[in-house]
Amino acid sequence: MKRRRVVVTGIGLVSPFGGDALDFFGRLLAAESAVRFFESPDVPRPLAIPAVRCDGFDVDGVLGRALAGTMDRFSQLGAGAALAAWRDAGFATDDRSEKTDCGVAWGTALGGTLAYERGYRELWLNHRPRISPLSVVLGMNNAAAAHIAILFGLANACLSYTVACASSAVAIGEAFRRIRAGEATVMLAGGSDAPHAYGVVRAWEALRVLAPGDADNAPRACRPFDSGRSGLVLGEGGGAIVLEERDHALARGATIHAELAGYGSTCDHTHLVRPEMRGQLRAIAQAMQDAGLARDEVDYINAHGTATREGDPTEIAAIREYFGGRARHIAVSGTKSMHGHLLGAAGVVEAIVTVLALRRGVVPPTAWLENVDPDCSGVRHVAGSAERVPALRAALSNSFAFGGSNAVLAFRTH
Amino acid sequence: MESLAIVREFLRERLSVPSERVHLSAALADLGVDSLMLLELMFEFEERHGSPLPRDIKTPKTVGELIEVVDGLSGR
Repeated sequence: MKRRRVVVTGIGLVSPFGGDALDFFGRLLAAESAVRFFESPDVPRPLAIPAVRCDGFDVDGVLGRALAGTMDRFSQLGAGAALAAWRDAGFATDDRSEKTDCGVAWGTALGGTLAYERGYRELWLNHRPRISPLSVVLGMNNAAAAHIAILFGLANACLSYTVACASSAVAIGEAFRRIRAGEATVMLAGGSDAPHAYGVVRAWEALRVLAPGDADNAPRACRPFDSGRSGLVLGEGGGAIVLEERDHALARGATIHAELAGYGSTCDHTHLVRPEMRGQLRAIAQAMQDAGLARDEVDYINAHGTATREGDPTEIAAIREYFGGRARHIAVSGTKSMHGHLLGAAGVVEAIVTVLALRRGVVPPTAWLENVDPDCSGVRHVAGSAERVPALRAALSNSFAFGGSNAVLAFRTH
Repeated sequence: MESLAIVREFLRERLSVPSERVHLSAALADLGVDSLMLLELMFEFEERHGSPLPRDIKTPKTVGELIEVVDGLSGR
């Protein structure tokens, strides 16, 4: 039997730059950073960190005030991204009729943590006896997915994945398998997170992996693969892609951005936070085999590249190990240097970057990469400015999570 | 504030419903109030009156029925 193929027919995100996905990609090509110094209004010890925020996202304008009021920030970011992707795929965003062959696969690391934190503030700080009856539906981790299913009448599976920083890559991969297995025709897949809850940021600070910075140098805070790298920048955001069975997309004349050809999913099973090269290597190998790709067909890898001391060298080692002599010719970039680490939305936003790079034949850089750490050498780092790569054939998007879960997506030009 | 005015303000704020549509015989469902929002409305009245509604109240279907229930809170 002919194997079903899966293509990307829609992309959308809520951009920290305020524009759409193409504008976002254009800014990354120009090595523009969305990282800013963020100070929260908390008294007496405000958060004061480099961060990425989507302050230009017009929640009421995009979603309507009534709907927005029933959503936590992570659902608002998710629904905003889903609307953009659904529209990009050529589907009507006001059609809620039941679509039994269309589903949702969503990733979020933190879900509605902000809603729960608001509850704690009310109860413990403001000494109120109770909290809003909406708290449960604001806070539940599958709220974003459920809202998206309701918005477009998506009656197939509605699934949420919490796999830390690989959440939305896993959501995309599992949705891909679902379409290939014939269980769905279209899946709206992606993820969203709003990580600037007070307790969440303090927890990340305690782990000593957040990049320091002030109002002047915050945009340059995140420097993956650089010998002077100092950690990651937490960002809020949402991204979505429409995955569609290829014949279905062709029959309706949809614009095809790229083919999602393979997916690898493994676990290090060794340590909660220390990444393991072998687990990542197995995920890369799985995605490549699944896609039927030869090593010399891969021209670009959008790295997980968090700019932590341990994470970056481990990832480059896995790439070197799998690709051997070919690794030196593969363009590699870590775009978290510009859009930050979006946790549950990281995988999908980087998948969108990967798809657009394939489609446009141009690779965004790792911004602020001046001195490649010797531990991170052996690949062709695209440093500082974008690079045109004519006839890009295939590209990988890596997502490696705390907890040791690894997800790799393999895209081909179409 | 009078109960009807509170309902009007809530629905104007949350659903942009014009106040003239919010009258005693108006069905809550027609105004866009689902079961979750009804919980929010009742919560709003409990907050204002500082006392909880009994658990066994009949679910109000109209603005008038809602006001009858919540006015019971303030003893009116």
